[in-house]
Amino acid sequence: MADKYTVRVTGQDVDLTVGEDQSVLDAALRANQWLPHSCTQGTCGTCKLKVLCGEVDHRDSPEYTLTTEERDSGLVLACRVTPRSDLVVEPMGAVDDGVPRHPLRDHEGTVVVLDDIAAATRRLVVELDEEMQLNAGQYAELLLPGTTLARQYSMANPPSETRRLEFHIKLIEGGAATEGWIFRSLSVGDRISLRGPLGQFHLVDKTDGPVILIGGGTGLAPLKSIVQHALAEDLAPELYVYHGGRREVDLYDVEFFRELDARHDHVHYRPVLSEQDWDGATGMVTDAVVADFASCKGMSAFLCGPPAMVAAAVKALKRRRMAPKLIFKEEFTVAPPVPDVDAAAS
Amino acid sequence: MTITPDFVNDITMEQLEADPYPFYERLRKEAPVAFVPALGMHLVSTRELCEQIARDDENWPAVISAAGGRTFGPAALLNTNGEEHRELRDMVEPHLQPSAVDKYIDNLVRPFARERIAAFENDGHVDIVEAYCEPVSVRALGDLLGLDDVSTDKLREWFHKLSVSFTNAAVDENGEFANPEGFRPGDEAKAEIIAHVDPKIDKWITQPDHTAISHWLHDGMPEGQTRSRDVIYPNLYVFLLGAMQEPGHAMATTLAGLFSRPEQLERVIDDPELIPRAAAEGMRWVAPIWSAVVKRAARDVTVGGVDLPEGSIVMLTYGSANQDEHAYDAPSQYDLDRPVKPTMTFGAGKHACAGTYFANAVVRIGLEELFEAIPNLELDTDHEVDFWGWGFRGPKQLFVKWEV
Repeated sequence: MADKYTVRVTGQDVDLTVGEDQSVLDAALRANQWLPHSCTQGTCGTCKLKVLCGEVDHRDSPEYTLTTEERDSGLVLACRVTPRSDLVVEPMGAVDDGVPRHPLRDHEGTVVVLDDIAAATRRLVVELDEEMQLNAGQYAELLLPGTTLARQYSMANPPSETRRLEFHIKLIEGGAATEGWIFRSLSVGDRISLRGPLGQFHLVDKTDGPVILIGGGTGLAPLKSIVQHALAEDLAPELYVYHGGRREVDLYDVEFFRELDARHDHVHYRPVLSEQDWDGATGMVTDAVVADFASCKGMSAFLCGPPAMVAAAVKALKRRRMAPKLIFKEEFTVAPPVPDVDAAAS
Repeated sequence: MTITPDFVNDITMEQLEADPYPFYERLRKEAPVAFVPALGMHLVSTRELCEQIARDDENWPAVISAAGGRTFGPAALLNTNGEEHRELRDMVEPHLQPSAVDKYIDNLVRPFARERIAAFENDGHVDIVEAYCEPVSVRALGDLLGLDDVSTDKLREWFHKLSVSFTNAAVDENGEFANPEGFRPGDEAKAEIIAHVDPKIDKWITQPDHTAISHWLHDGMPEGQTRSRDVIYPNLYVFLLGAMQEPGHAMATTLAGLFSRPEQLERVIDDPELIPRAAAEGMRWVAPIWSAVVKRAARDVTVGGVDLPEGSIVMLTYGSANQDEHAYDAPSQYDLDRPVKPTMTFGAGKHACAGTYFANAVVRIGLEELFEAIPNLELDTDHEVDFWGWGFRGPKQLFVKWEV
């Protein structure tokens, strides 16, 4: 068996070199050859490719994301598949949408902040040895020391902060990354390995209409990056930030966003609690959005949180007639169940 | 000839127009090639035989149904063959090639689609066939042809009248038209069309422009000559009927199909890239050109076990072929996720629809604009979904609603 195979992506002029047991997506992003992708763990199906020629190993591609029928017709998941011969592959959708792309890189850094900021929630800040270029809203994979496991967290820092990555991390009961590491042994000063940037949940271009951002729990992280970037680059005429939690102790960065709201006429911050009466908004965060807007026509939205919240938000925004193509989503996805059960939070 | 079963003898045009499916389901099972006295010709109802005959130009040259011939006149695309047919295709095809369509289709369809939506989007309910599907369909082709000075309602009136005449197929025991009055609407429409288009043709002869009719007059002709109006008009009628009406039918049918599967509707609205697949399944489910293609046996033939003498006329029923249980699982259900298989929607062989790409693009853009503007669209269940038609089929009306 060869150590490396050549993979040609139709429509792109560079041949990729893909190592043994490396995914095609990983090789492409490292070579700065963009391929559409979102979760990079085989659950979303965004990265499907058609193999025109060659042999592959689907490895742990789940049947629910890539059916037998799809495999038979030559489809693969770029984030899972590894070549068993040289390949020619074809992306399923449009690849070049004019968005700046940043190559995937391995990074090392030092933990400089590790604070409790809300109930069972920590802020982790990593000072990188080398810069990471990213788009506001993208995520990275933290590598668990002494294992081959990686867990995904969105960056909350704006792209201008290329050396200082901020993550918001929720404790998951029994989670290998959280209970087993970040909430147990990790300390300021520790070295940390990660890779990024990943994903296509981002705000890059100027928007004509107002932008609604809805985050559930630590789903606020990529939205914080997007809001800071939008303010710095003047990308949106209005920014409406909704943060949903059960109780007040679940909220964080309240002062940060209140200050933005006070300082900028076009920033509006609304925390919403579902299980506690207080002087702010109550109920489901998506119901608050429906109540606040008679029409969302011409607006766009960024949603990040648990799948149920994202689905409810999509429904709410469509009810208010937001165009679905202007609704951008990032869901918390459950990490693969082997060898440890964990859930990755954004 | 085999003995005609009673159910075939007893069928009427009214029954076929209201709901042809039960009759054709029986035909496919019991008499896939059946002489139907009410129509004076044989009906071919299975997927396999429809495709076989559609592709076989040698044994089966294309003709037009008697009612179709009475409506369109001679020398239309539908009933020419060989070199004559090739020349007509050469006349109409340049504007309909994918590379040509891609250049003009967005500007042709999107602005008008948006204008129509803006007119009703704050109302919360509408008959989407009348308010959107038909207007978008006729305006796109009307403007392409060069009939931009004909109102949308007039174009809709023309195709409705031509449609009534084209499918006025019933014959009496002597083989004469059972309802000759049924051709009056088509004749009225044609008189109006000629009165309107004749002066335009006069102008295009000396001042050609980018419109399709202008190209039809000039393209491929020797210097200083233009095509005869005898060639232009029958083909203009073909376009004004089939090409104007059917993208509208396809759009409305796809919506009706998606309303039967709300979770599939939701997926298509969320991911517009699924629209072409949703529309293809809509057109499989209820083929817009349901039963309109006619061929003539050039010699004695045996088809589907039935001996037919030379000159026999058969009608290929694509609406039935598309619901053939031997080709599709649960064929009467709309299902976005059905394995993609070729259908007979756009015909096959040399007479396959010249406007396939154009029509698909109109339907796609129409649905893209609609779902983008009204992503909370749903069926108004106070009204029934009422499909109608045998020659051409689609929802007569389709009432939808949304929160405003």
